[in-house]
Amino acid sequence: MSIIEVSHLTKFYGKSRGIVDVSFNVEEGEIFGFIGPNGAGKSTTIRLLLSLIHPTEGEGKVFGLDVTKHGPEIRRSIGYLPSEVFYYEGMKVIDLLKYSASFYKGDFTQRMKYLSELMELEMNRRISDLSFGNKKKVGIVQGLLHSPKLLFLDEPTSGLDPLMQRKFFDLIREENKRGVTVFFSSHILGEVQRLCNRVGIIREGSMVEISDIRSLQQNNYKKINVTANGLTPEFFDTPGVTNVQTENGSVNFFFKGDINAMVQKVSSLKLDDVTIEEPTLEEIFMHYYE
Amino acid sequence: MNIFLRELKANLKSLLIWSFIIVLLILIAVSKFSAFAGDPEMLKILDTIPPAVMDAMNMNAFNLTTLTGFYGIMFLYFGLMGAFAAAMWGSDIISKEERDKTVEFSLVLPVSRSRVVTAKALAALVNCVVFVLITWGFSVVAVQSYNPDQAFYDFLALEMQGMFMMELIFLAIGLMLGCVLKKYKSSGSTATGIILATYFMSVIAGMNDKFEFLKHFTPFYYYDAGEIFRSGHLDTTYLGVSVAIIVVALIAAYTVYNKRDLYI
Repeated sequence: MSIIEVSHLTKFYGKSRGIVDVSFNVEEGEIFGFIGPNGAGKSTTIRLLLSLIHPTEGEGKVFGLDVTKHGPEIRRSIGYLPSEVFYYEGMKVIDLLKYSASFYKGDFTQRMKYLSELMELEMNRRISDLSFGNKKKVGIVQGLLHSPKLLFLDEPTSGLDPLMQRKFFDLIREENKRGVTVFFSSHILGEVQRLCNRVGIIREGSMVEISDIRSLQQNNYKKINVTANGLTPEFFDTPGVTNVQTENGSVNFFFKGDINAMVQKVSSLKLDDVTIEEPTLEEIFMHYYE
Repeated sequence: MNIFLRELKANLKSLLIWSFIIVLLILIAVSKFSAFAGDPEMLKILDTIPPAVMDAMNMNAFNLTTLTGFYGIMFLYFGLMGAFAAAMWGSDIISKEERDKTVEFSLVLPVSRSRVVTAKALAALVNCVVFVLITWGFSVVAVQSYNPDQAFYDFLALEMQGMFMMELIFLAIGLMLGCVLKKYKSSGSTATGIILATYFMSVIAGMNDKFEFLKHFTPFYYYDAGEIFRSGHLDTTYLGVSVAIIVVALIAAYTVYNKRDLYI
């Protein structure tokens, strides 16, 4: 079952673009990575799904319900960690968490204790006294407190130190094992690579690729580096070749297509050296942005 | 209920400050009144004031040397204070969530926007009620040394009802501005602008016959202390108009807030 179904979702802020004709599905129990640079439309997409803003065109469904019509119902089972966390400044951490919990059915005392100890939260401090990273930790506890079935994480690691990041990733994996679906938005590829099953790449408001993270790395692209005497970049001017760069007499490029044809082509050269490797997600990503 | 209680707590400071100001205003005013009280010389001085100024201050209807007359003048200040406080509470209670960027937290909770507006409106309403009761209660205490008669208490009760209606009108307008205006910064200043504009409309309407028609557009005329004093009750037509304004403002607030984008 699809937990999130987005079809032809479009959002304009007046005349300026938010996102254009974005469609994708997120299946139950998966960790879906959503990557793109700042301003690509990641937060817009999430805010549309949380019905903080309303679509110009298209529709979004969460748990099979339309987000504009069933917002409160959907949000009962959603946890959200925004990229920047803002809470009522005058409240203490403990009061804020209790306030948040009071909106959901159930007793979350144990869970609050567990999560806050894990995240090393100081419960009696005022929100206004907290650093950016500490606010983020409050956000993590608040977002996970009511055991949501679906988690929206919008650049969740910013402000967290590496140790906390690791704890946080472990926590997300643990939640995911219990069946929680995760929508993970980020511009840091390493973390998406570590955590996600599938990934959608958004660029200037449009979805450019949705793919299995493995197939994105393995099946599609090869990074080929060839060193040979008198080799010019024009030699590789054939379909499927992109991103040709020359460096110290060697040529490297991305190749997508029949690998046999490429190997034959390369074998016609008198080679000094050749490597064929998987590109990192980082490189694939840069490729999409050029 | 949780939103309502949190808002009450968050607005307590503001309520205390406004209450302190109005208590101070009453204290100063009543101590000034001791200079006028029962002094016939004062009446002569008042006679020398140009009529236009008397009109502007709404001082024609009243005999300043009696407590009731003095409180008739005071009503203007109560009305203005009530209007300002209520409009601020109304607009701020909604728009502060966008200003402080907490809207991303508060509206991702499983509550509908209508429920949020209702809870907040009720919290602001409690503030308005308490504000009137404090004005009323402290007035009663402050004038004790002048041994006011029953007629004064009756008039005070009417004035307080009038002040409450003014509060309700401007609370509803404040809520509407908070809900409707996309720029959260402008809701407070727009509310202030509306209050000042309607107040001066009532002043102009009172001073010049050519502009008398303006009185129908300003709540400050609906609850005119002189009128209340003469008739002994609040004008039922204008009560109806007030209710209509409140209803329209609330409908606009709910409808727009449910449909609009929230900016963070």
